[in-house]
Amino acid sequence: MLRLIVSRLAGGVAVLAAVATITFLLLHAAPGGPFSRERRLQPAVQRNIEDRYHLHDPLWQQYTRYMGGLARGDLGHSMKRPETVGAIIKRHFPYSLTLGLMAIGFAAVFGTLLGVLAAARKNTWVDYAAMSVALIGISIPSLVLGPIAIRYLALELGWVPAARADGVVGYLAPAAVLGLIYAGTIARLARASMIETLGADYIRTARAKGVSERGVVWRHGLRLGLLPVVSYLGPATAGLISGSFVVEKIFQIPGLGFYFVDSVTSRDYPVLTGLLVFYVGFLVVANLLVDLAYGWLDPRIRHSEPAA
Amino acid sequence: MTRRHLTTLAALAAVGCGLPDSEYFGKVPAVDDPHTLTWCNSGEPDSLDPAEGQSTTVTPIMYALFDGLLVFGDDGLPVAGLASRWDVAPDQRRVTFHLRPEARWSDGRPLTAYDVAYQLVRVLHPLTASVNADSLDWLKNNLAYLENRARVLVRDAGGLPAGTIVEVTAVDGKPLADWGDTAPPDPNQRTASRALALRDLGADATAAYATVPPRAAVTIVELSGRPATLPSPDARTWAYVHWDHGLGVYGWVPADELDGAPTADHRVRVVPVAAKHVPGKDGAWADLQADAARPRAEVEVTNADLLMLPEVLGIRVVDAQTLVVEASDPTPSIVATGASRAMRPTPRAAVSRHPRTWTAPATIVTSGPMRLAEHAPRDHLTLVRSATYRDPAEVKLDRLTVLSIDEQAASANLYFTGVCDAVAANNIPQSYLAALSTGNHGKPYRDYTVAPYLGTYFAVVNTKRFDNVHLRRALTLALDRSRIAGFLRGGEIGVASYTPGTPIADLTDEDLRTCGVTRTTPGVALVIERGKLCYVPPPGLEFDPDRARAELAQAKAEMGDRFPKEIVYKFNIGFEAHKLVSEYIQAQWQDVLHIGVRLEQQEWQVFLNDTRQLEYQVARLGWIGSAADPEVEFVRIWRCGSPNNRPAWCNPAFDALLDEAAQMTDPAARLAKVRAAEAILVEEAPIIPMFVYTQKNLQRPYVRGLPENLFAQPSLWRAWRDPDWRQRR
Repeated sequence: MLRLIVSRLAGGVAVLAAVATITFLLLHAAPGGPFSRERRLQPAVQRNIEDRYHLHDPLWQQYTRYMGGLARGDLGHSMKRPETVGAIIKRHFPYSLTLGLMAIGFAAVFGTLLGVLAAARKNTWVDYAAMSVALIGISIPSLVLGPIAIRYLALELGWVPAARADGVVGYLAPAAVLGLIYAGTIARLARASMIETLGADYIRTARAKGVSERGVVWRHGLRLGLLPVVSYLGPATAGLISGSFVVEKIFQIPGLGFYFVDSVTSRDYPVLTGLLVFYVGFLVVANLLVDLAYGWLDPRIRHSEPAA
Repeated sequence: MTRRHLTTLAALAAVGCGLPDSEYFGKVPAVDDPHTLTWCNSGEPDSLDPAEGQSTTVTPIMYALFDGLLVFGDDGLPVAGLASRWDVAPDQRRVTFHLRPEARWSDGRPLTAYDVAYQLVRVLHPLTASVNADSLDWLKNNLAYLENRARVLVRDAGGLPAGTIVEVTAVDGKPLADWGDTAPPDPNQRTASRALALRDLGADATAAYATVPPRAAVTIVELSGRPATLPSPDARTWAYVHWDHGLGVYGWVPADELDGAPTADHRVRVVPVAAKHVPGKDGAWADLQADAARPRAEVEVTNADLLMLPEVLGIRVVDAQTLVVEASDPTPSIVATGASRAMRPTPRAAVSRHPRTWTAPATIVTSGPMRLAEHAPRDHLTLVRSATYRDPAEVKLDRLTVLSIDEQAASANLYFTGVCDAVAANNIPQSYLAALSTGNHGKPYRDYTVAPYLGTYFAVVNTKRFDNVHLRRALTLALDRSRIAGFLRGGEIGVASYTPGTPIADLTDEDLRTCGVTRTTPGVALVIERGKLCYVPPPGLEFDPDRARAELAQAKAEMGDRFPKEIVYKFNIGFEAHKLVSEYIQAQWQDVLHIGVRLEQQEWQVFLNDTRQLEYQVARLGWIGSAADPEVEFVRIWRCGSPNNRPAWCNPAFDALLDEAAQMTDPAARLAKVRAAEAILVEEAPIIPMFVYTQKNLQRPYVRGLPENLFAQPSLWRAWRDPDWRQRR
């Protein structure tokens, strides 16, 4: 087990270094720079600003300086904003995290509910309705769903604010929009698995014992039926927490998604590289945790020494 | 994923389905506290630091936080601020500002002329690398200072007396230009054999906030007791130094502690600057010009004889309330620049400790009508009334909440649901405009207004590829500007002239007299100084299909094989308006001139890069001015080799007229020269003017004290909310 953790972490560091290197090179190869703008500055001013960030040094020097900082855990200073990359992540990641966790919570509860309902009332109008909702969730992008939610929930009904993460209420609509796509997938997984489970022998036994239909579905069926959903939640959580530019933008949640996109267009080299390193690190750790959790849940996939 | 898609869809959902007819856009909430206001800004400010902030998202906040020698009045033109009065020299090369003695920083300390001088030095110093240094490009020796080649002789050397201002031409026998990317040895570099305690001027060493280890290099920025710097509090000379450590730190130390000068022995060739660049030097303008043309001999000295000090700049502090600033050449805007961002003083103590992050609420010290209480980046800022502002009666607000909303649909929706009392100019999606201008029973909503904005939208023509003037004229003459507002739906003012302004038909009677026009004169005019000075741009090449075709025929004959078979029109992606305009141009050039036009959308940075490197034929561009100064803000950018001259157009007659203007001290005569130059510009058509921008505003009917002006420059602290607005309607 320890060997697995150590080797996975070592691999993770190699991945981080590779990501940082590729991002660094690609960004510096892209046309334009952090200080090119529509209204051009006097050459002397431009020069002094670029000097401040050592942009006139040879590329290999800039690269070794950046990687040296990275090795010490220093993600550098934004070239466009008066703060360090570390400060940006520290301040804005909690917004993305809150939104992501609420979205995954919504997806898990709502998706499971739909799936179980559909399975319990297989091939009735309840099933069709629930699966249509799931299909809508999967197929309509948040780009469309978001404005529709704002139109009805905020502008017409006034239940939620039209934008901004102003208290928990502000997160409701964006979390639902963001979670709906995952809810759809979860609903379909849960339905298929529940149908299989409800046909199992032990369920027939339970029914024969005279357990009510509600008890059969919710007490006996749900436990086993949810296993595929649980294994899906791991990667889905990682994906959701890493922020959604579109949903964050539509609802003006000041999460990290904005910085991802903005640092590309404004060529803010340290911010983009830093964010990528942060997320890749986050994913490496998250995947490791999911793998360990699998082993704990199911002895059959518990990690053993590779066969010779 | 682009903003365009987002806003379009948001608009479809929000407005496309139709809103009930009503007088106002959204419900008008009841006013609880008249002295609070929520303002929806168009995004997160780039930086609150007057040396760094540039975008329109920061200016209204910066002006609320930082006082200026002059400030902007309700009409957006400069009026007295920190300076209650000023004297301008007849040749307009010098202005003496008299500061109000009651001016205070938010921490209670007096705000003096020394603080303003410090800000000028800070903005121009190479280590600050301020993006706003451009706006001080008239100050004596600003460029040489910015490029770190201006020096003052600290002792007699090379036959020149101490105090002479010189420029470096070569170091160690190598001309300055040949040093390339390596910086020549800096005479201001110092070391100390003992640890240096960086502190406030005159403070005890125990009050140090940073300690420089022995033998680490620091750079001298200022010395106490010089013409532009603070006097020494004791008998010693103090040095204000920069230590390049972490994000950098500045501080004062007694100068005698700096006992090492690692670069002292390097040989430097210098040349004294011309008399017109010498601070404090007066004289007849004709004599000064003659002197500037005379060659001056180079002499060789060493770095030990030299320092780069603020006194090389045209800044002198006479006393705590008197500041003199000087330009090399006659500068009509010398007083008005007192309102610019670059000249708004910043607090030295806070900046020294945290040069890059001092604007955080915990460390910021301000001087304006409001102070910063909270800042949640990309979410909101809270500004509250400053207890130390020099004119408390001017401040109507106790609390101002600024929401940073970078999504236009979100901004309009927040207004609709009653969250914002007013929305920053133009933070409304293109797709909402139609509904906003017809929602009130076919008329615009009463809280939606459109007004002219000091910006101009045009296309640039690459004159290296389209070097034939007849071709450029043909392209210009084929466009009917009067139709633009019809499809952009924002009341855009379609004109063929270049410098923007207010439509002449909308001017007041007083402004009409100042501008020397009648109400029926077509076009726009720019009032520079109410009742005194006005600029009416020369008419451009108006829509004339017959003349366009004639010019085209001539171009074909002259260009022969080089005549383009197809024109590629480039524009940047992300804005619906650019696409609509490009499609209109495509249709016009095809219909009128029978030239095929291919449209090419580019990502912003790629677009900037291509237009800069002349990798284009015709491209869209716009230019927003920040002051009523046609020469500096609009005409001058088309000089030969100017960094923003993207058409690479070069016309000696145009440059000569601007050169002549630059020597003139009579503002009206000077404007006439500028106008003659602009006439050449529009006739030669390196740019194709299309329209004057408008500002689209949403503002609740109960908001008072926030009038529109040409600069979209709201003085937010003067606003308040009227609970009895319905009675006063």
